[in-house]
Amino acid sequence: MATATATGRITQVIGSTFDAEFEEGHLPEIYNALRIEAEVKGVTVSLTGEVQQHLGGNRVRCVALGGTDGLVRGMDVVDTGGPVSVPVGTETLGRVFNLLGDPIDGRGPVAAKEHWPIHRAAPSFDTLSPKTEVFETGIKVIDLLTPFVRGGKIGLFGGAGLGKTVILQELIARIAKVHSGYAVFAGVGERTREGNDLWLEMQETKTGTGADAKSVIDSTVMFFGQMNEPPGARLRVALSALTNAEWFRDATGAETLLFIDNIFRFSQAGSEVSALLGRMPSNVGYQPTLATEMGALQERITSTNKGAITSVQAVYVPADDLTDPAPATTFGFLDAFIVLSRSISEKGIYPAVDPLGSTSRILDPQYIGEEHYEVSRRVQSILQRYKELRDIIAILGIDELSEEDKIVVHRARRIERFLSQPFFVAEVFIGKAGKYTPLAETIRSFKELCDGKWDHLPESAFLYVGAIEEAEEQAKRMAR
Amino acid sequence: MAKARAIIKRRKAVQNIKKITRTMELIATARFRKALDRATQAEAYTRKIAEIVADLRGTSSQVAHPLLEERDPVRRVSLLVLTSNRGLAGSYNGNVLRMATRNYEEHQESNTPVNLEVSGKRGIAFLRFRRIQIDTTYTSFEDRPQFEEVDVLANQYIGQFLRGEIDKLEVVYTKFLSSSRQVPVTETLLPMTVSQVGEDTSRHPAKGATGRMSADVPYEFLPDPASILEEIVPASFKVRLFKCFLDAAVSEQIMRMIAMRGATENADEMVKTLTRQYNRARQSQITRELSEIIGGAAALE
Repeated sequence: MATATATGRITQVIGSTFDAEFEEGHLPEIYNALRIEAEVKGVTVSLTGEVQQHLGGNRVRCVALGGTDGLVRGMDVVDTGGPVSVPVGTETLGRVFNLLGDPIDGRGPVAAKEHWPIHRAAPSFDTLSPKTEVFETGIKVIDLLTPFVRGGKIGLFGGAGLGKTVILQELIARIAKVHSGYAVFAGVGERTREGNDLWLEMQETKTGTGADAKSVIDSTVMFFGQMNEPPGARLRVALSALTNAEWFRDATGAETLLFIDNIFRFSQAGSEVSALLGRMPSNVGYQPTLATEMGALQERITSTNKGAITSVQAVYVPADDLTDPAPATTFGFLDAFIVLSRSISEKGIYPAVDPLGSTSRILDPQYIGEEHYEVSRRVQSILQRYKELRDIIAILGIDELSEEDKIVVHRARRIERFLSQPFFVAEVFIGKAGKYTPLAETIRSFKELCDGKWDHLPESAFLYVGAIEEAEEQAKRMAR
Repeated sequence: MAKARAIIKRRKAVQNIKKITRTMELIATARFRKALDRATQAEAYTRKIAEIVADLRGTSSQVAHPLLEERDPVRRVSLLVLTSNRGLAGSYNGNVLRMATRNYEEHQESNTPVNLEVSGKRGIAFLRFRRIQIDTTYTSFEDRPQFEEVDVLANQYIGQFLRGEIDKLEVVYTKFLSSSRQVPVTETLLPMTVSQVGEDTSRHPAKGATGRMSADVPYEFLPDPASILEEIVPASFKVRLFKCFLDAAVSEQIMRMIAMRGATENADEMVKTLTRQYNRARQSQITRELSEIIGGAAALE
């Protein structure tokens, strides 16, 4: 922490924001962290705030990064002379922090050599890495329709209860297990219980075998600012986690994974404090600075020539409306986005990925190859045609379709079901072992499905299997 | 508002479809009445002819007619499939064609050459799509098949059968049992079998069990049984074939009527759902705008 440079006094407290007055010439800079340490009626108040505005008259307006309970006008406020800084480095591995960089896993202080401020500039234009490489996940629908980019950004969009967190945790389980570099997890405004589950699970899960085996947590750093925390915490915890990930990228050059659940809570927290800061609400009541805030965060999550950050972010979609400003501003920054759809989850197909709404920047023959591209386009065109025919089927019945269309519908229904897959993390719930399907298998399976090789199998045989041969086995089992 | 407008557009399309299906339902109802009348009228004649043949068979055991003679082995089969020219008749064509293709494949498996004859555009299109070779097509039979037309067809079959070009004639069509039951059936019309002839008579409650007893009535044949059979067997065959066409026509109309009624109801349902969706979208739009204005105004204070 930087040394204290000036002391001021609180002049006003509004919800999770407060104003402070400083002496002439000692005004703290924007984004500087202010500390409040006091004791009110036997209760210790310990709070950090972040300067957001200079109001004139030597006053600043700050966002509280913790609860403002017990705050009184006239309390002393100490300017720390710099932004909030979090510990970085290999010492932080295996630990859990809050946004201020204080460990919250009850294992004592962290002896980090370095602290980095959470507000930093995005990497400059010329240092960005132009490399494009496919990142295999073993999840059929993702590998086929929304191939991930190594060192890219992936968004998981979905309304309430569609399984964003499950997919994110599945990705952690699949990627982090075989991953050689470091992983940083940011829990932003989501369920505290889920964060705890994840933490415990990571301690149990091992990578490698025999003597080399070590817990996943040993190469992971976690930052939590869950839904019980005030808006200021939820607004900044993603930056804290990102700062930590940046250190791994810049200092070690190792491939770093950054998981954020859920980036929407970041926008939401911004909107909660925005009105209190006196900004006029903009579109749909969001803060007018929505795009700026999102840009400042997203542009830092990037791969440079020093190292790569591959990030997976869950994005909550309010009221299943993708045109809502919060998810809409997130779209533009991503390399691949997976849209989860309610109509698919209602059919009991998980992961409920919308095959027509999701796409990837590298769904292009020059990155993934002609065959993969062609198969994914064929799958999409069959599903698109089925979607167009759905009204006709609903009104007139399937018998009225032309023979070509009947075949399309027949295959589309099979493809739809074949896009489901058992997950490792859901093993205990559905009683089916998770399946890793290699990309080549996925492409071949869907190609054969489009060619009509498996038209004879019943629809339900395609539910929750890996490669296409497993569907055949399942059909045989069902027949018995 | 983009979403709300898209919903309106879709609702309008569904409403238009509903208008069409409703009209088609009404037309099908009217046609069904007419077709049913024709079928009932023809029924009496068919029954009488069948009775006479049955009686004849009962009287003299030496009755023999080339059209009644079973051939073994069957070297060539003619398969006549009756479908409609128009769609939107529910599962009418689908059922018949499913049965016809199964039948066709069975013949293929037993290596019997099949003469495939199809009436109705829907059937023709389906079989072409399945790449099944069709030998003859008819599209002239609508909802009022004329006896003259069927007569020509019947004579042609009789000729082929007598010349030995075909050993069997099977007709796949939809049998009209009642206004709530129509089933696709495969019937062997040539060679005509005794049981078929008998079955036709005993099915009518008016005759009932007495159908058999009438065989006891002594007949006198003039000039002789053979020449009477010569007349009556082909006539019976023609009538039976005609009956197939009539049944198919009646079934088509009633199935279309039911299918269209269902479609209209489905469309109604959909309009309802879409209207609800639209109202919700519109209301949320209004609420959103209001809260933005109020929020904006409050922030300015």
